[in-house]
Amino acid sequence: MTLHVDSPAAPPRPGPERPTGHRGPRRGSGWARFDLRATPYFLVSPYFLLFAVFGIFPLVYTLWVSLHEWELAGDKTFVGVENYIELITDAAFWNAVINTLGMFVMSTVPQLVLALLLANALNKRIRGRLFFRLGVLLPLITSVVAVAVVFTQLYGRDYGMINWFLSLFDVEAINWQNQKWSSWIAISTMIDWRWTGYNAIILLAAMQTIPKDLYEAASIDGASARRQFWQITFPMLRPTIIFVVFISTIGGLTLFTEPVMFDGNPTMSGGATGQYQTVAMFIVKEAFRDFDFGYAAAASWLLFALILLGTLINYSFTRRIGGSK
Amino acid sequence: MLNNKRQGKLAAVAVMAATALAITSCSSSEPAKPAAGGSSSAAAAEPVTITVHTFGGGENFGYDKAVETWNAAHPNIQVKYQNLTDRFEDVYLPQLLQRLQANSGAADIIALDEGAMGLMKARPQFFTDLAEYGLDSRKADFPAAKWDNGINADNKLFALGTDIGGMTMCYRKDLFEKAGLPTDREEVGKLWPDWAAFMEVGKKFQAANPGKTDPKFLDGPNTLYNVILSQEAPKNGNVAYFDKQNQLVIETNPAIKTSFDTVKSFSEAGLTAKLASFTPPWNAAIKKGGFATMGCPAWMLGVVSGAAGEGNKGKWDVAAVPGGAGNWGGSYLAVPKQSKHPKEAAEVLNYLTGKEGHVMAFQEAAAFPSSIPAQQDPAVADLKNAFFNDAPTGKIFGESVKDLLPVFLGEKHAQVKTSVEKVLEGMDQGSVPYDQAWTKFLEAGVKAAG
Amino acid sequence: MTKVVLALALLLSAFPIYYMFIMATRTNEEAIDVPPPLLPGGHLGENIQRLLSTEDAYFMTGLINSAIVSITVTVSVVLISTLAGFAFAKLRFRGSKILLGLILVTMMVPLQQMGIVPLYELMVTLGWTGQLKAVILPFLVNGFGVFMMTQYATQAVPDELVEAARVDGASTMRIYANVILPALRPGMAVLALLVFMQTWNEFMWPLIVLNPDNPVVQTSIAALNQAHGTDYVMLFTGTAASVLPLFIVFIAFGRQIVGGLMEGAVKA
Repeated sequence: MTLHVDSPAAPPRPGPERPTGHRGPRRGSGWARFDLRATPYFLVSPYFLLFAVFGIFPLVYTLWVSLHEWELAGDKTFVGVENYIELITDAAFWNAVINTLGMFVMSTVPQLVLALLLANALNKRIRGRLFFRLGVLLPLITSVVAVAVVFTQLYGRDYGMINWFLSLFDVEAINWQNQKWSSWIAISTMIDWRWTGYNAIILLAAMQTIPKDLYEAASIDGASARRQFWQITFPMLRPTIIFVVFISTIGGLTLFTEPVMFDGNPTMSGGATGQYQTVAMFIVKEAFRDFDFGYAAAASWLLFALILLGTLINYSFTRRIGGSK
Repeated sequence: MLNNKRQGKLAAVAVMAATALAITSCSSSEPAKPAAGGSSSAAAAEPVTITVHTFGGGENFGYDKAVETWNAAHPNIQVKYQNLTDRFEDVYLPQLLQRLQANSGAADIIALDEGAMGLMKARPQFFTDLAEYGLDSRKADFPAAKWDNGINADNKLFALGTDIGGMTMCYRKDLFEKAGLPTDREEVGKLWPDWAAFMEVGKKFQAANPGKTDPKFLDGPNTLYNVILSQEAPKNGNVAYFDKQNQLVIETNPAIKTSFDTVKSFSEAGLTAKLASFTPPWNAAIKKGGFATMGCPAWMLGVVSGAAGEGNKGKWDVAAVPGGAGNWGGSYLAVPKQSKHPKEAAEVLNYLTGKEGHVMAFQEAAAFPSSIPAQQDPAVADLKNAFFNDAPTGKIFGESVKDLLPVFLGEKHAQVKTSVEKVLEGMDQGSVPYDQAWTKFLEAGVKAAG
Repeated sequence: MTKVVLALALLLSAFPIYYMFIMATRTNEEAIDVPPPLLPGGHLGENIQRLLSTEDAYFMTGLINSAIVSITVTVSVVLISTLAGFAFAKLRFRGSKILLGLILVTMMVPLQQMGIVPLYELMVTLGWTGQLKAVILPFLVNGFGVFMMTQYATQAVPDELVEAARVDGASTMRIYANVILPALRPGMAVLALLVFMQTWNEFMWPLIVLNPDNPVVQTSIAALNQAHGTDYVMLFTGTAASVLPLFIVFIAFGRQIVGGLMEGAVKA
């Protein structure tokens, strides 16, 4: 899967002229023209109708709510941008932002490296290819809550397997929830465990579209396998890598289930001092634990701004190397 | 017309039955029976389901047996009992508030911890007036303070008491023995008349358990803090975070500072297992013997026995608590206005808070009844708790609640409590430095009271 | 080297799942033993029995609800996406670029996070809290699906095919049914798989809007974790049971899924 940000619509294709302007053949021309003109709108309308109700409305309404001191069934007072001002000086909010970004980087970078490594290995001629491919995809179909439950048990301080394993090397029992670094590692492994195999398969698919003669030519020139990987495979994979990063950006910045389950209870606090509270958890906490809907709505918009920023960085990246495919 | 008439009649029967119960305090606390039977001659009443939502760890409210008994006798009013979570302040309460405000999703009968009563009293619009169903006749059953706490801002009766949290100290007999400490509950109680003595015992215990994976003396900061606060608050105007005008007094109330300091000293001395209460690792440690003592209000015994499991029967015991009497926790039942069957819900509530319900809950979860007839019933007063080495819990708790004065808890008590205790957990586990903990503690409290 | 990498990957992928099933066959005492058990025990039957008889977790209700929600959302999203994808990829109409651009932008909007406050108020106003439609409708908006089907249709269906059908007098809907849908099938399968999993895994919104007696499977596991947190093996039996349906589908159609994923990845 690649991301064609530059050409969202189908590019015009060579071939016979489309009969847009002139009379349609066969059937009554009135109907045919109507069909050509109107049906496309009919085809896209289900999406846009739903989008209006469950997309546009929430966005605009969230903005409206964010300008108020807003209780669910209680008072609603217009306060202007007060929520935003309070928010940008709220250390807890920025803590959540840092946690979210930190875990995003901590999970995405190793994930990509491992996926590339794995895709490269899967691309070799080996027996039982299907078996291996299925094997690495298995985590993907395991539900997130299940993953979190298992890993939280594995990371248990007193009776968890990971601390037991570390104790064999004389490492003192780690309270994984207790510190930022340790909780981030634990949560990142949950994310990576689930997604690395999937990304490897996507990258593998892209690898297989690379023309073989490129490699043959390189071999004749005496390029080593490592050199071939960096000179041919990696550049050819760039669009796919960007797609993968794009998808994990959205997933990463809205991280919720893993840290919530890692806490054991849906308190949304992400540890005693918010070591692993993400922005999504912050929003839910403000809205549905403290019932400060206006504040939560403002945080939603800041999260959106954050994602836009992230995507914009992605986009400029894509523009620079987008032409490679 | 017909419907109205019948309902009026049923209500009258219910009131009569409830009154009869209150006066005689006999065990026929089943006002629904004649009502349900009476309607069978007319078009058979549709069976209704009454949902009950509770909270708490282990055996929580201990309603399994009581509900089973009720359901067997009332085919037309079937009770469904669901314990939602072991965390009250930061999970159960907000979810309940959300559902009350959404006017959908709350159970027909909901359990409320004392910490949320201030909040709920100030929101009478959410609750059914139980007096409409005759439950005001139960007044004589309860200690005045427990009863008054169920009256809301509109001066309506909205909740009836379940249990009361008299205080003891739970301890692991086997771990005490291993550490060379006495194991008999009388002798153990004598070891620690006050918290300073308790600290000395703790140090002795820890000296005998120096290893990294050895058990610790205490579980963590939360239980210790709440026990001490329940003892200190009565000495300081009987208030905790808020004074009786609902003003935040967290910075000035010496009870808070004393409790905080005591917890800090135990934490600094390395006597805690650094476990936050009502979390999975805490539960696991109860089962595995990760710590030796824990402050135990009555209901906590049910938490311990439920978390430890039958396999640990007899390993835990209860002794007197250092520092004297106190009340931590104790709950109420209420019927939200959104209930579609308030009459039947009130009947079930009457049963669960009646003598029969209280006795069964005490037998199952050690939740010590707040109702006086139940306290006086031999089934409570003489009960020995098999899980805790046949400790005479009926007698122990009966005495511990005698002179209890419930602490006044402000409207935002639950929010402040959960926020400041997070700081305690952080301090104990090391993410908040000891020298900054008090400042952070106050900050968190002020913010939560917001 | 290749073999080592693959063997390690396989081991790491399989171990947590294996561990989950091991725990489901053990007792609560064994579950927190140190070192932890690594081989199956003999208590699976009783754990399953306890899971099903623990009425207040509503586990079976959650499983069935999740199936209903996921299937409904998947069918709808795939249908809506192929319709729109066909239009964007193969038909010309005024404003198509702007509309597709709009969809791309919406892909970046975390609607479920952004929208929880208004969506929740909407559900309260409609009186839908606690009902399955509250967790179905918001998920029918899936910009990714439209995007993916647009990309896929652009590459998988030659324009000539559409034109030929047009010349034969086929209406747009007929072209959709006879030309587009068959060509999109592999891409649809991948989209269906992804949407199904995403919906099956949805946690935040059901946690907020559903009630404890009518959960989906994820919130029901969370409820097990909260209210029966000391019954580890029951919790693990629940998690194992929650992934089993997907595993069976995966193993039965493994070849097609991997093939479809890879084909979809290249074409879309």
